[in-house]
Parts: sequence; C-alpha cells; structure tokens
Amino acid sequence: MTALAAPAPPRARRRSAEGRDAWLLVLPALLPVMLFSVYPLVYGVALGFTDAQAGLNAETHFNGLDNYAALAGNELFWNSFKIGLVWAFSVTALQFLASLGLALLLNLDLRLRWLARTLALIPWAMPPVIIAIMWQLMLNPNYGPVNRTLETLGLPSSVNWLGESAIALPVVIVVGVWAGMPQTTITLLAGLQSVPAELNEAAAIDGASTWRRFWHVTLPALRPIVTAITTLDLIWNFNSFALVFVLTAGGPGGTTMLPSLFAYNEAFRYGNFGYAAAMGNVMVVLIGAFLFLYLRAQMRRRHQ
Amino acid sequence: MRTRTSASVAAVAGVLALPLALTGCSAFGVGDDSGDGGTVTLTFQSLAYQDTTIAATQDIVDAWNEANPDVQVELVQGSWDNVHDQLVTQFQGGTAPDVIHDESADIMGFAEQGYLADLSPYLGDDTKAAVSEDIWGTVTASDGSVVAAPTLLQSYVVFANTDAFADAGVALPTGESLAWDDFQGLAAQLAADGGFGLGWGLQQPTAAVMNLALGFDGTFFDGDQITVGDDELAVPERIHAMAYDDASLDPVSLTQSGSDVLPGFFDGTYPMYVAGNYIAQQITESAPEGFNWAVLPPLAGTAGATQAANPQTMSVAAESEHVEEAAAFIDFFMQADHQAALAQGDWLIPSSTAARDLVAEQTAGDNGWDAILASGEGLSAAPFQSAVNYPQWKDQYATPALQQYLADEITVDELRTQLTDGWNDLG
Amino acid sequence: MTKRSPATRPLQYLALAAYMAFLGFPLVFLLTTAFKTDREIRSPDPAFLPQSLNLDNFTAAIERADLFRAAGNSLLTAATTTAIVTAVALPAAYALVRFRTRLRAAATGWILLSQVFPFILIIIPLFLLLKNIGLVNTLLGLVLVYAVWALPFALWMLQGYVAAIPVELEEASAVDGAGRFKTLRKIVLPLLAPGLVATSLFTFINSWNEFFFALVLIQDPDMQTLPLALARFVGAEGQVQLGPLAAAALLACLPSLVFFMLIQKRLTAGLLSGAVKG
Repeated sequence: MTALAAPAPPRARRRSAEGRDAWLLVLPALLPVMLFSVYPLVYGVALGFTDAQAGLNAETHFNGLDNYAALAGNELFWNSFKIGLVWAFSVTALQFLASLGLALLLNLDLRLRWLARTLALIPWAMPPVIIAIMWQLMLNPNYGPVNRTLETLGLPSSVNWLGESAIALPVVIVVGVWAGMPQTTITLLAGLQSVPAELNEAAAIDGASTWRRFWHVTLPALRPIVTAITTLDLIWNFNSFALVFVLTAGGPGGTTMLPSLFAYNEAFRYGNFGYAAAMGNVMVVLIGAFLFLYLRAQMRRRHQ
Repeated sequence: MRTRTSASVAAVAGVLALPLALTGCSAFGVGDDSGDGGTVTLTFQSLAYQDTTIAATQDIVDAWNEANPDVQVELVQGSWDNVHDQLVTQFQGGTAPDVIHDESADIMGFAEQGYLADLSPYLGDDTKAAVSEDIWGTVTASDGSVVAAPTLLQSYVVFANTDAFADAGVALPTGESLAWDDFQGLAAQLAADGGFGLGWGLQQPTAAVMNLALGFDGTFFDGDQITVGDDELAVPERIHAMAYDDASLDPVSLTQSGSDVLPGFFDGTYPMYVAGNYIAQQITESAPEGFNWAVLPPLAGTAGATQAANPQTMSVAAESEHVEEAAAFIDFFMQADHQAALAQGDWLIPSSTAARDLVAEQTAGDNGWDAILASGEGLSAAPFQSAVNYPQWKDQYATPALQQYLADEITVDELRTQLTDGWNDLG
Repeated sequence: MTKRSPATRPLQYLALAAYMAFLGFPLVFLLTTAFKTDREIRSPDPAFLPQSLNLDNFTAAIERADLFRAAGNSLLTAATTTAIVTAVALPAAYALVRFRTRLRAAATGWILLSQVFPFILIIIPLFLLLKNIGLVNTLLGLVLVYAVWALPFALWMLQGYVAAIPVELEEASAVDGAGRFKTLRKIVLPLLAPGLVATSLFTFINSWNEFFFALVLIQDPDMQTLPLALARFVGAEGQVQLGPLAAAALLACLPSLVFFMLIQKRLTAGLLSGAVKG
C-alpha cells in the first residue's frame, strides 16, 4: 500500500510508523500461539524423515529419503491420493456453487430470512461423527427415508447407496457437500454484505441487468473471499477425516479410502509414525504446489 | 460484534493475561490431584457399553474399593469405538490408565510394542485355572509373556425367526452343532417361496471370515507364511454361493452392518440372521411384541464347530507404577460371580468355566443362552492372531478384496491372488 | 434491487425452499427419531412420525451422558477459544493486509502448512507438548489447542474480508481528517462485522464439535465435552443406541442454532451510506 500512497509522502511515513505500532500490538499475542503450532508442525514434518515407530523406548533414527523411496512404489497410497483429489475437488466445486446460490438468496430481503439463515446452519451444528451416523441411517437401502421417499415417488428405490463400489464415492461426496455447506454459505454471505451497496446501486443506475451486475460488480468484489474460502475448503476437504471414517471407513473395496484415512491407518493402526508423517509431507508438497499456483493466479487477477 | 478497534489494545492485553488468569481457574480443571500419602490410586478405563454392564462394573469397583482402602480404583469410562486411537496416543504420552479394558485383537499389537506388562508372575492361581489353555493363547505374546486376562468372549451364531420357520414348514434344527451344508440347505428351503433365507451384515467381512474359517481348518498363516487354500476360502465361497447361486442370502445385506440388517430379521424378510451372539441383547430390547426367536446350534465346518476366539481383555500398562496392585484388582475382577454379572449384561460368554456355569444356572438357558454358551466351547486361538502384519493386511488387502468378492465383482481366484500377493507385498 | 420481472420472487422462494429441504431434512429425521422408542426405530416398517411424544430418550441422554455438565464444559471451552482467536486474529489480519511486509508471505506459508498437514499426525507431538507443560486432562489444554488450530483459519478469512474493503474508503476518511483509529472504528469495523461474525461463529462451532483431541486429552468424566458424551451411545461393531443418541445430538445442536438465530442479524453490514461519495 505504500506504493499507492506515493503522491503523499508524509502520510506514507506516518503509515509505516503506524505499521510498526500495529506489529507491536499484534506480535506479542500472536507469537505464543504460533509457537504452539510451529513446534508440533516442525516435529511432524521432521518425523517424515525418520523411521519412528510405536513402541516403549523405541529408538528413532533419521533415514533421509528412505520413506519417500518406499512411498514412490506404494501403489495403494497413490491410489488413495487420486481418490483424495477427486473427492476434494468435487466437494469443493459443488460446495462453492451450491453455497453461492444459497448465499445470494439469503442476501435478498425475503420473508423469514432469519429462519432460513438459521436452518442453513444445521449441518454445522452437529459433530461429523453424528452426521455420518445419521446419513448411514438415511441411506439404508431397505429402511432409510431416502429410498422410501424414492419409492413413494415411483422411482428406483433399491439402490444400495454406500455399499456399491461404483456409486459409493459420489454418494459420499454429496454427504460431504451437505456437511460443508454452512461454512461456505456463511462466509460468502458475509462477503456479499461487505460488498459496498453503492457499487451495486451505481451499476443499477447505469442500467445494468441483474446478471451483469452480479458478474461485473458483485463477483469481482467478492473475489478475495472466494479465493480464501475455496482454498481452505480444498485443503479441509482433502484432509477430511471423521466423516468418511465413520460413513464407510474407506470401503467398499477401498473406493473411498481418502489419503488422510490412509495415513491415519499407517500411524495409528500399524504404528509407523515416520512413514505416515512422510505421507503427510508428500500431501503438503503436492497440495501446496497446487495452492501456490492457484493463489498466484488469483492475486494476479486481483491486481489487474 | 460490538468490539471497538480502540478497545483492541485492551483486548490484546487481556488475551495476554488470560492464560495466566485461567491457570488459576478451577473451572478449567487445572490443578494437581495427587493422592493422599500411602494410598495407591489405580485408574481403570472400562469400555462397558450396556447400562447393565456399566452398573455391574461400578459394583465390582465399589466392592473392591471397600475391601481395599489402600488401593483405590478410579473408574474411567471409555468407548469401544475409539479406544485404539486413544491408547496409541496415551501410550506415546505415557498417560495410559493403569488397568486397560480392550480386546485381544487390539492389544496384541501393543503387547509387541512393549506397552503392556507381563502379568504371569502376578495373576492368582484361581484366575489361571479358570480359563482354558487355548484362550490363554490369545493373550500370550510372542515372547511368552501373558499380557492380559481374558474376560468375555463372543462367537458368531445363527439367529432364527421361529415363526418364519413355522410358516415355511421348516423344522428348527437341533443337536450339538449345525453343519454348514445343513445350514445352506435350510437357507435354500426358507427361500423356496422366492424370498430370502438369510441376512448377514458383513460390511466388515474379515473378522467373521477369519474366525469361522477355523471350522474348516482354514488357518491362513503358519508363522509369517500365508496359505490361501480351499480350507481358508470355504467360508467366503459358501457365502458367495448362497448369495449368487442359491439366491438364499440377500446380497444387499452383505454390504451392511449387523444392526442395519436387524429390521429385516424382525419383519421376516430374513428368517435367519447371522451375527455376533451379543446381538441377542438388541433382539430382546427392540424386537416387535410377540417376536419369537431362537439361537441355532453352533455352525460346524469340516473341522467341527470351532471359531477363533477374540476375548475382551484386562491388561496393565507396562509403565504403571503399581503393576502388582493392578493385577490383584484383575484377579478380583475375574471372580466367577463378577464375570457372570458382566456376561449377562453384555450377552457375552465368560472365558472362565466357573462363570459360564454360573450364567447357565442364573439364566436357566433361556433367551438362547444355552446355545450361546454352547458356542463358547468351540472357541480357541488362531494363527492370524499372532501374525505381525495382520492388521495392515486386513485393512489394505483382505477387507477390500473380500468386499469385492462378496459383491460378486471379482472371482474366487482373484480373491486368492489378492490375499496372497497383498501379504507378500507387506513382507 | 430495482427492476425485476414478476416471476422472479416466487422462483427465489422456490429455490430457497429446495435448499431448506436438502439441508433441513436430516434434522427432521433426527427430530422424529429422538421421540421414537427403540422398537419403533428398529421396526421393519418404520413410520415417519413417532407414535407418541415419548421423552424417554431425552431423559436417558441427559442422565446417562451427563449432558448438561458436558454442555457447560463445551461452552466454556468454545467461548474462551473464540474470544482468544478473535482478539488475536482481528488486529493481525488487518496488519497483514494493510502493511505489506515479508511477514505476510511467511504467515501465509505457515497458515497453509498448518492446514494441509494432516491434523491426525500432529496430535501426538501436540499431546506430548501439553503433557510436558502439565495441561493433560484440562480444559485449558483444549482451549490452547483449539485456539492454535483455529487461528490460521481466522487470520486467513479475516484477511479476505479486510482485502475486500476498498482502501479508498479509508483514504477518503483519512482525507476528511479522521485519525487512524477513528477510521478503523467508523469505516472498517462496520464493514468487517459480518466477516467477524462468520469467523467467530466458525471458531466457536469447530471447538464445540471437536472430538478427537478431546478424546485423548480429557480423561476425567467431569471434564468431558459434548462430542465425548455423545460417543457414549456408540458401541463396538456399529452398535448404536439410536434413540438416546438422536435426542442427545438434538439437544447438543440446539445451542448452536439458537446462538446463530440471535446473531444472524449481525451478518448484515452496518451503516455504509455516506462513506463513499462518487
């Protein structure tokens, strides 16, 4: 921002002084909190270069890139990684589209808006474990309300939603979208509220249609928030654990084995902490590289 | 949010002070609870789930605490669903409870990692004599140390809707055991009118297949060598045949959990239902009024009515400072009257012979207890229980492969290949 | 919000109704299940509505899982976490956006790393850390962990909201002679309020729902949080005490819903008119 202020040098100087003040205010509070996350993170990352195993008094040695060499040939891991990508991208994209639609509706001055806004939060109000148990019941092929409703409507009603390997992943994705919609909706709704009404009004005076106003005024103003929430959604979805763990535990036939489930099994069930942490590192590097490109593209667009 | 930015300085200052303030705040539970001098306090994490079992456990602990003022046991409630993850973390952090309730299949990995104390020098003779050698085998680590006392057992049993049997004009089988061939015949007979003879929730198929395979001498492992021959595959092949050749077993039920299939048993869709014997508890509680049911004699393969035993266990953490006292509490816990009370609460089979007799006497064999207790006689240790990489093989290869086979997506030869190659890949 | 064809409004209501059905149906299902007896739930021919308003499940949930105490613990933990996170993240996010320094790149990197690395693998080092400073089996330990893990998210989202506020607004206000803090208070905060509400809501709910870390950290039954209490109804091998679980889950999600009903108005931006002229 200092560059922007170039025509008024005295103000710029005042600003940077205030900037220092701001840091003085922020850092003392931020540092201890950051330290608490930096230590476990660094520990976790470093573990990925060791042969750490569960065991009383088990010794741990650095083993360089051995874990990664083993991982490169681990077909199951890469398969699970692929499932993770399909899952994360589908859930994020669908979640974004569905939530944007809902947020736009909730932003209108409709009757009972308060009720709709509250109801939109329902999936959020339950722990993931409960959500998973509930959907299991809803999707029960014989007695669940989903198939019963289809039956009433005269549609095919004997689909075994979570039990057939061809459709289990898409079904789990729908549940994932359901579970994650509130956070995206609320974020976008808050963002819509932050779009200064003047911008829209000015465009309306110019005679722009609703659609054009949305595309040329609302969406660009919303872009920083869209970027922020889609990035986070992608990360969270890629790392999503509890929901799928309870819903299918990776089955049937391994078709819903997300990478976080895979790494969890490696660490918690087989006790190979080092190898599991190496999986975490691979996930960080690959997802991080993607995010870097995505964020850079978004930044550039914003500055155009 | 009414926060004013001018107040942010105060807010930040407040936050800095907060942790200090909280440290002194008892509402956050910060504090020291070290016991009084001289008294030993043992923590005991119980996984009791049914109300009756929770109450029975509490009674046992209360009785112990009254009789042993110097060694007080503090009961902590855990849950079966997450006990493994909880223990992994607590063992790593050195904060595991002194006395640990779990099951054999879960703790043997911890035992090999050195987290469980060897109880053989401490357990009393009564405890040792009450349980058969075979069952002790399921809690003995590879170095010979006994890492738990086996408490309660489960077996897979066939439940029968007796009214559905009567309607179909099929007689209830009797006798010491029910041969698999006869069982398949029954299912076909019951399905003759175009319905199903049987429902079986096999969403997680590996445990049932491995346990029942013992009835055909299907041992799978010899040391670290895997053999997947006809004996090993007899159970999945028979299930597959019932589902896809005879159409007597509903294939949808194979992809569901046991409780998902239960309503189909209640409404007669499935005249027979295979599940862990403890499901009897759910049947008595939630079956419709006037529902009549029975437990059929234990399933027998070519090697008899044998199943692998996976007992619930009581262990002591190796890092506990009071292993001897903890073992004494386990001895107390293992007394026949205590085990009988727990067994009836959970509808499980006591591993102790004296307790089994006591249950038979107290229940008079009603509600399927005679058949359930009979099925307990055939339980013994199986080689897969001591194969080191078994949990990983189970998750990564056996479960997906069996799920695919039972969904008729792969052939039995492909199943055999996946099971064998998977094991060899783990090396 | 000017010209609009007459058909638009009904269509909007229709779309909203469809969303509500999708999002709300499971809650209705939970609601009906909570009043059913065990027999009705396991009935092979389940009716949608319970036969009577039987409250057994609710009493079972409250008594057996000690639901009120658990709710109190959850509330204390979640509210403290939210207060800490908001107080720390708000000034920090503003500073990160408005004063471009190298720290911003570092902070962004840290934020992303902390969210990408699977949380499940950090639990053990985190647990060891808390054990070493004596915070095992304390709610304070939970607060610390939740705050540390919600902070990156809060920083990240608040940065997005701050960035969405045109700098021109602040500069116009500064030109009008308003001091920095006055500008922040009068211009930035009202515009940021919806974002702040969304962020703190998120922090609150994530702490309220968190299960796994609470599971390993808390042993004392008196200090159980709600998700731990709910887990009491889930047994081995997919056994679930459905009625009490549904009742408990329903009771557990009510506070969140009421809380949200009360503050959803705040999702509407404060006064804006006159902030920008032309």
